Amino acid sequence: MGETESVEGRPLDDQELVEQARGGDARAYEALVRRYQDLAFRTAYVIAGRTADAEDAAQEGFVKAWYALSRFRTGAPFRPWLLAIVANEARNRRRTGRRQDDLALRVAEDRPSGDAAPSPEAAALAIEQRRLLLAAVGRLGEADRQVITCRYFLELSEAEMASALGCRPGTVKSRLSRALERLRVVLAEQGGGPLRASKLRGGER
Amino acid sequence: MSQRELGDLDWALSDLGASLEFPPTPDLAAAVTARLGEAPATAPADRRPRGWLAGVLRLPGWRRLALAGMVAAVLAAAVLVASPGTREAVARRLGLRGVEVRIGEPPPPTATTRPSNRLDLGLGEQVTLEEARRRVAFPVLVPRVGALQRPSAVFVNQAVPEGGRVDLVYRAQPGLPASRFTDVGLLITQFRGQPTPEFIKKVTGMGLVEEVTVAGEPGYWFSGEPHFFTYRDAGGTFREEQTRLAGNTLIWQRGELTLRLEGEISKPEALRIAESMR
Repeated sequence: MGETESVEGRPLDDQELVEQARGGDARAYEALVRRYQDLAFRTAYVIAGRTADAEDAAQEGFVKAWYALSRFRTGAPFRPWLLAIVANEARNRRRTGRRQDDLALRVAEDRPSGDAAPSPEAAALAIEQRRLLLAAVGRLGEADRQVITCRYFLELSEAEMASALGCRPGTVKSRLSRALERLRVVLAEQGGGPLRASKLRGGER
Repeated sequence: MSQRELGDLDWALSDLGASLEFPPTPDLAAAVTARLGEAPATAPADRRPRGWLAGVLRLPGWRRLALAGMVAAVLAAAVLVASPGTREAVARRLGLRGVEVRIGEPPPPTATTRPSNRLDLGLGEQVTLEEARRRVAFPVLVPRVGALQRPSAVFVNQAVPEGGRVDLVYRAQPGLPASRFTDVGLLITQFRGQPTPEFIKKVTGMGLVEEVTVAGEPGYWFSGEPHFFTYRDAGGTFREEQTRLAGNTLIWQRGELTLRLEGEISKPEALRIAESMR
């Protein structure tokens, strides 16, 4: 780690790394990139829809952020600022007429699908329910899908969601609740009722 | 939706999120670091506006363009301005008539925003396209791309700027995602640009400004963080238009007209629409 650790051996926090990077320390910036490359890439992927575009957007976003560091407000949180830049790069790479299925998130399984080995019914049901829910999210309009993805799949804070979605922090909540409302409608249309989430949890509350 | 259903959905989505697989993240750190050597991020005090602009504006053909003496695209010298809360802001007047572009930190947002779900952005009087053509002293251009030949709404403002302006508003539709603040998918403004005073002022923070050519005439493509537009009102003062925090914007010249196209669309798409305007 070298310069990316303080003398006490504790990892440097974002602000310390940002300060060093502003002074031209590329290694400090590299540490920031490592810290946030997953988040940046996934956010870009959610917006751009293709891995190649997401990689391109995230890389370009990090490079632009480096050159913009002098304009970064001291003391401000780095994550939302970075996400705003990356998300914008991703939006610029989004292709019009993109199909929903470009975004190929997958529900993790313990065993590959098609495996003949029997799995507990509950586990199979849970995976199936998740797939149905993911499919329903995929059927939403882009704006709804993105706000839900940012909240639940990327676990962004409200400020970060606002940055990634390019909207005002004050509107994030209402956008999310509208998106959830529409998701519920899609789920109802899809059949299987409103999700039967309680079954996922192993019983009625 | 009941609290119970909401709670279930909330829980199920969190559960789904925890079990989702994203494509593997490529090693960005190496690729990014390799690109940082090109120009170190110098401290603000060390920056010269020209160097900073060159980096931000990405203008390989900038100097050539200026030397070529294309009247509409000649750039005035960079002026370093200081404003409260802005460590570094550089104003540059782009050569499009009636447009000033200021690169710097955007102003703090005001408390008031217009309600969304409207096509009326306070642009002026809503009229038919034919009526708008009668009211202004210039030929009103319309895109010839598919459904865009028929704007969802047309607004005319005869007072500002001199000679009037016309705004074509398009409701969000497939291929034209809604703006982040309104139901508008695309907004096209046109007016007869005067060299001074500027009608549009544009402030862009992180955003990029790129020079483009639209049907052989100069233009600029703005992308990046929301751009803050201010317009000169009838009294001559600049008024900020919070409603029009733009996603991406193309401003270009067509003869004596200055046009601006704004929407959450890509550069090629914007250029295609702009080129089609007759």
